[in-house]
Amino acid sequence: MKTIIRIAGIIKESIVDGPGIRMVVFAQGCKHKCPGCHNPETHSFNGGTLVTVDSILELAKKNPLLDGITFSGGEPFEQAEAFAVLAQEVKKLNLDIVTYTGYTYEYILENSSRHRGWGALLDKTDILVDGRYEANKRNLLLKFRGSENQRIIDVKRTKAEKRIVILN
Amino acid sequence: MITKIKKRDGREVPFNIEKITNAIFKATRAAGEEDYETAMALAEKVVERLHKDPDIKVPGVEEIQDVVERVLIEEGHARTAKEYILYRAERTRVREMNTRLMKIYEELTFKESKDNDLKRENANIDGDTAMGTMLKYGSEGAKQFCEMFILKPEHAKAHKDGDIHIHDLDFLTLTTTCCQIDIIKLFKDGFSTGHGHLREPNDIHSYSALACIAIQSNQNDQHGGQSIPNFDYGMALGVAKTYARLYRQNLVKALELLSGKEDITTLVNTITKKIADEHKAYPTLVPNEKYMELEKKYLREFISDADIIQKAQVFAVEKAGAETDRNTYQAMEAFIHNLNTMHSRAGAQVPFSSINYGTDTSPEGRLVIKNILLATEAGLGNGETPIFPVHIFKVKEGVNYNPGDPNYDLFKLACRVSAKRLFPNFSFLDAPFNLKYYRPGRPETEIAYMGCRTRVIGNVYDSSREIVYGRGNLSFTTINLPRIALRSNKDINKFFAELDKKIDLVIEQLLERFEIQACKKVKNFPFLMGQGVWIDSDKLGWEDEIREVLKHGTLTTGFIGLAECLKALIGKHHGESEEAQKLGLEIVRHMRKRMDQASKKYNLNFTLIATPAEGLAGRFVKMDRKIFGSLEGITDKEYYTNSFHIPVYYEMSVFDKIRIEAPYHELTNAGHITYVEVDGDPTQNLEAFEKIIRAMKEAGIGYGSVNHPVDRDPVCGFTGIIGNKCPFCGREEGEVKFERIRRITGYLVGTIERFNDAKRAEERDRVKHMSFCKWGLS
Repeated sequence: MKTIIRIAGIIKESIVDGPGIRMVVFAQGCKHKCPGCHNPETHSFNGGTLVTVDSILELAKKNPLLDGITFSGGEPFEQAEAFAVLAQEVKKLNLDIVTYTGYTYEYILENSSRHRGWGALLDKTDILVDGRYEANKRNLLLKFRGSENQRIIDVKRTKAEKRIVILN
Repeated sequence: MITKIKKRDGREVPFNIEKITNAIFKATRAAGEEDYETAMALAEKVVERLHKDPDIKVPGVEEIQDVVERVLIEEGHARTAKEYILYRAERTRVREMNTRLMKIYEELTFKESKDNDLKRENANIDGDTAMGTMLKYGSEGAKQFCEMFILKPEHAKAHKDGDIHIHDLDFLTLTTTCCQIDIIKLFKDGFSTGHGHLREPNDIHSYSALACIAIQSNQNDQHGGQSIPNFDYGMALGVAKTYARLYRQNLVKALELLSGKEDITTLVNTITKKIADEHKAYPTLVPNEKYMELEKKYLREFISDADIIQKAQVFAVEKAGAETDRNTYQAMEAFIHNLNTMHSRAGAQVPFSSINYGTDTSPEGRLVIKNILLATEAGLGNGETPIFPVHIFKVKEGVNYNPGDPNYDLFKLACRVSAKRLFPNFSFLDAPFNLKYYRPGRPETEIAYMGCRTRVIGNVYDSSREIVYGRGNLSFTTINLPRIALRSNKDINKFFAELDKKIDLVIEQLLERFEIQACKKVKNFPFLMGQGVWIDSDKLGWEDEIREVLKHGTLTTGFIGLAECLKALIGKHHGESEEAQKLGLEIVRHMRKRMDQASKKYNLNFTLIATPAEGLAGRFVKMDRKIFGSLEGITDKEYYTNSFHIPVYYEMSVFDKIRIEAPYHELTNAGHITYVEVDGDPTQNLEAFEKIIRAMKEAGIGYGSVNHPVDRDPVCGFTGIIGNKCPFCGREEGEVKFERIRRITGYLVGTIERFNDAKRAEERDRVKHMSFCKWGLS
């Protein structure tokens, strides 16, 4: 896959970005500009590095302990098409996908027709951690997220049960 | 005629009468009778006296001073004589103060442990307390004594120069390292600690109390760790007794209330005894049908209403079950509290205790495992992480490893507790080198580990006794691998030749030490040998030599700094290149082969250990830096890397670290451990934690554990990860510091202040195997 993604960096193994042992791909570029953001250097759409989907997959294949890949950021939904391609390939490796986004699940659903790739990326995502980082709701004790407004959503069950299934 | 005198250090120098004159002159001055002429005259008298003595050819300093004293007194210079004697005593004192040992004592006395590495040599001792300092006085004095009077000069030199390190040198003439205590055998019919007999315990509370006493008593007979290899199997017997008693009590209560009859106690006791005697059936945690039926039948002879009996039995089963559970929890809680509070090792340390469990699938054993884990998870009085005992959870397929295995739930619980408290560690019974000893239904053949990593199971001396109970390490000595590599100038053949010489030296030294140990008698170890804790010691008399039974123990060679050794030999360590890994394995395999050969030759258990190096990590590298200078990746850190570990500063995936370290476990038959460093709070991600443990098992690791930050705010009691601010109460670190528990050579330490300098540096450099790396697809 020669599809290109602009990324800020990669954590090869993490236990704090979703269940199990995960590789984390940080998208470069974000419009939300949440005050107190943990990774402000990922906001610019010009920074970071351009890499191919293949090179990310190669890295993932090297680690047999991985449970899945987490898309974080930056805002993965600003490069939804490319991340959807990556997600598609990741699934072939029997790995699951966790996607962090500053948009809410409801917003993504409502606007998916207006943004290319949004529907596809949401569709490939197993767990969506949604919502902006809100500094006044910051809580270091939360699992896998930074502020209390953010939700860990089981996307598959949410679709099947037609109601938002939260895993917090 | 005297022309020379002998100085204190043995050198002979020309005799000079002026020196005597000056000494006397100083004394006259101090006495207020300053007079050089008199001093000179007196000095001449001294020389005259020395000349007259036919025995004195070359007088020593002390001899001359004796004569000076005598002359002064005889010539009527009493006050000068007194001053001279004082002066002489003072000089002697100053001289003795300047000896190495006295310098050490001075530092121990007047320097706080934060400024004195010696006081922090062992992180479990508080070097600032009276008993902690006393312990160090004794230890340092004994070390020097052994070095000067006991060791063969070439062994002493190799130790002093840092070619090898003789561990626990202070105990060289005294005792052996460690032991795995079979508490079932020890408790049977009770035991004695020297000041009275303790009856066989009859309740889980007394079982846990006596287990502490056993560990404590044995600790005073040995310098190393004390381990209980069968904690679950042993404590289960106490649970069964507690249940039986509680069942009877509750049955009596229910029957009394429901039937309105009196003296039910006697009735129930009679019936229980009758069933036990005639049918060998007992009330048990999971109710024994046969017992219940028999009990019903006998009760019916006195209580006509079957419904009452039925109700009473149901009540008793339910209540006794819940109360036994609660009692067991409290007993386990007390056990942990005791082991963290009784400073009974030489008055300054809690015993180095370890417990192994996980494979007892009986309801009673399961209750023990569950509750020791829950009590550990809850922590000490204010929620602190317990430092002792070291917990080792035995992982075994078919017992607790897979869903459907009877103790799988307990394995999950063990992961949860370890994710919070750093213990338990995990031992893997299915690793081929452990599995070969395993005999189902015989817990003594299940591998057990002691504390930091020690492993004793194989037995060359008596192949019918390849078991863990009653055995332990006798002594061990570590070889400085980087030193040999640096001396070999990248010449591999030369390296192996030098390594062989060092191994020869160590084997000889271990044998000499064994000879000292073997001549000891049972009476020197009133508990270890006197109470039959050590294998076969129960067959010996009080005055018997322990030589033969000691042969079940191990004589062990260790090594440190394989990573730096490989760097010195081929420029890369085993995490960096396959070639280095190949050579690393070749080196360690060679050392193991030499141990096996020595075992055969001497019919003793020579084994190889991946040394747990605490003080040593810094000592060797400091000396080598002096010799070879600061070399990148070799001597440029404050520490050498432990045994076969990948350097802590080197970034690598969890999987790779496990994969690369695993093959060394098989080779190091005296003990090993692999750690994985994890960044983040694993209690929030138990899937990941369990996965790491499973990866260790699948890779053929023998013993492993996961390191992760465990911080605690002593103000609000929160335990987890704390940055600058407590995430629970929001307090910033001010006067009251956050506690940061870290693992150091296998033991947990509550504050980093007690780490020695080298270990502090190592902690600082530890790379979490899961950390952020900027983009790089190399």
